[in-house]
Amino acid sequence: MFIVLQWLKRNSYPLLAFFLFGFAVNQIMRFQIYQHSYYYNSSISFARTIDQWRNNVSSYLNLKNENEGLRQENLLLRGQLSINKSAVNAFKDTTYFDSISKSLNNYKVVYTYIRANIVKNTVNSRNNYFIIDQGKKQGILDGMAVISPTGIVGVIINTADNFSRGMSVLNSKFEITPYIPKIELRQGVIGWSGMDYNVADLKEVNRTEQLKKGMQVVTSNYSSIFPPNIPIGTIKEVSQKNNSNFHQISIKLSTDFSRLQTVYCIKNNYHLEIDSLSNPIIDEVK
Amino acid sequence: MIAFVRLFIIAAILAFLQAFIIQQVDMGVWLRPMPYLLLFFITPMNMNKYGILVGGFFFGLFIDILGGNFGIHAASIVAVLFAKNFIDQRFIDFDSIKLQGETYVTVNTKGWAFFCYYTLSIIAIHHLAFFMLDYFEFVSFFRMLLSTVVSAIGSFLLILLFKSIIKS
Repeated sequence: MFIVLQWLKRNSYPLLAFFLFGFAVNQIMRFQIYQHSYYYNSSISFARTIDQWRNNVSSYLNLKNENEGLRQENLLLRGQLSINKSAVNAFKDTTYFDSISKSLNNYKVVYTYIRANIVKNTVNSRNNYFIIDQGKKQGILDGMAVISPTGIVGVIINTADNFSRGMSVLNSKFEITPYIPKIELRQGVIGWSGMDYNVADLKEVNRTEQLKKGMQVVTSNYSSIFPPNIPIGTIKEVSQKNNSNFHQISIKLSTDFSRLQTVYCIKNNYHLEIDSLSNPIIDEVK
Repeated sequence: MIAFVRLFIIAAILAFLQAFIIQQVDMGVWLRPMPYLLLFFITPMNMNKYGILVGGFFFGLFIDILGGNFGIHAASIVAVLFAKNFIDQRFIDFDSIKLQGETYVTVNTKGWAFFCYYTLSIIAIHHLAFFMLDYFEFVSFFRMLLSTVVSAIGSFLLILLFKSIIKS
C-alpha cells in the first residue's frame, strides 16, 4: 500500500495531466458531431472485426461439433429423401401417377435457403439475440426464419447491408406453435422461461393429451415463417398441477445455442400470398 | 496577488479575443492562429505546476465554451503544459532567469535564437495536439501537418506582437 502511495505521489503530475486530457477528449467525443460519429463508426467496425476474428478462431475449434451437426442433418435429410422416394414409387403404380407427375413438373420452390455464419450470439440475457454475417445485399429480409443443422434458432429482426440481427429462441418475445408427430398434435405455444439455455417451456397443451418424455417436437405446417418438420427439441419433463387444465412441459432444445456456428436463413417465397389470404379471414372473424 | 490578478485579466482578454475575433475571421484553410498561448509564456515559472495545469485546463474549457469547440482547446492546452513543464525542467535554468530580474523566458534569457526555438517548439506541440484532435483522421495527416506549421508561425508572430503591447 505504501509503495502504491509512493508511486502515486511520484507520478501525480502526469496522472493529473492524463486525467484532465482524458476528460477533455471525452467532451470532444460526446459533443463534437464529426469526432463523435468518426469514433462511433470506427469502434463499431473495430468491434465487428474482433467478432469476425473470434468467430474464425471458435469456428476452427468447433469443427468437430460442426461436423457432427452436419452429419446429423445429412442423416435426417437422407431419411426424408427415402420417404419421398417411396411415396413417389408408391404412386407410380396407381392411376394418380399422371397428376402426381404433373404436380412434380410444376414444382413450387416454397423455401429459399441462405447459408450464414454466426458472428455474435448471447445466451445469458433474458432476451437473447444473434448477429449473422449476411445482410440485405445477400438477400436477407426481416422476418426470415433461421435454423441450424440441428434445429430452429430464431427469426431475423434487423438487417444491415452485410450483417443481420436475429431474435433467438432464447428470447421472451419468441413464440412458436409446435407439432408432435407421434400423437399428431398441433397445440400449445413454446416459449423460453429464461432459466436454462437448453430448455424451453411448452404451454397450453390440454392435460388429456397423452404426452411422454422423449417425444420429438418439430415445427408445424401452420407456420408461415418456419418450414414444417424442423426439429425444436424433445420432451424432457411432463407434469400436471391439480388445479390446471394444462400440462406443464419442458422441452430439451435440439439446438445447442452455446455452440452456434453455421445457420440457414429461410425465406418463404409465398409468405405475402399466405398473409394476404389470412388477413380477410381475420377480418371476417372480427 | 497582483501578478495573479493581472494574469487572470490577461487570460480573460485572450480568451475573448480568441473566441470572438480570431476564430471568427476567415484567414484561409491553413491559418488558424492561437495567440492565447501567450498566457503560458508570461506565467511565472515559480508558480505551482499543478495550479498551472488545472488553471490551464479551465482556461481551455472557457475558450471551448465561448467558441463552441467542446474540449479541443482544453485537451491541447493540457498536452502543451505537460510538455512545457518537461522542457522547462530539462532546458531552462530558473536561477539565471531570476538573476536577470525576470520570472519567465524572454529574449534576454539566452538570446533571440533560443527564444524562437523555445517558443516555436511549444507552440508547435500545442498546435499539433489541437489539429490532431480537430482533423481526427490519419488520412489528413499532411494537411494537419501543414495547418500546424502555418498556424504556428501565425501564432508566434501574434504572440510577439501581444507581448510587446503588454510590456509597453
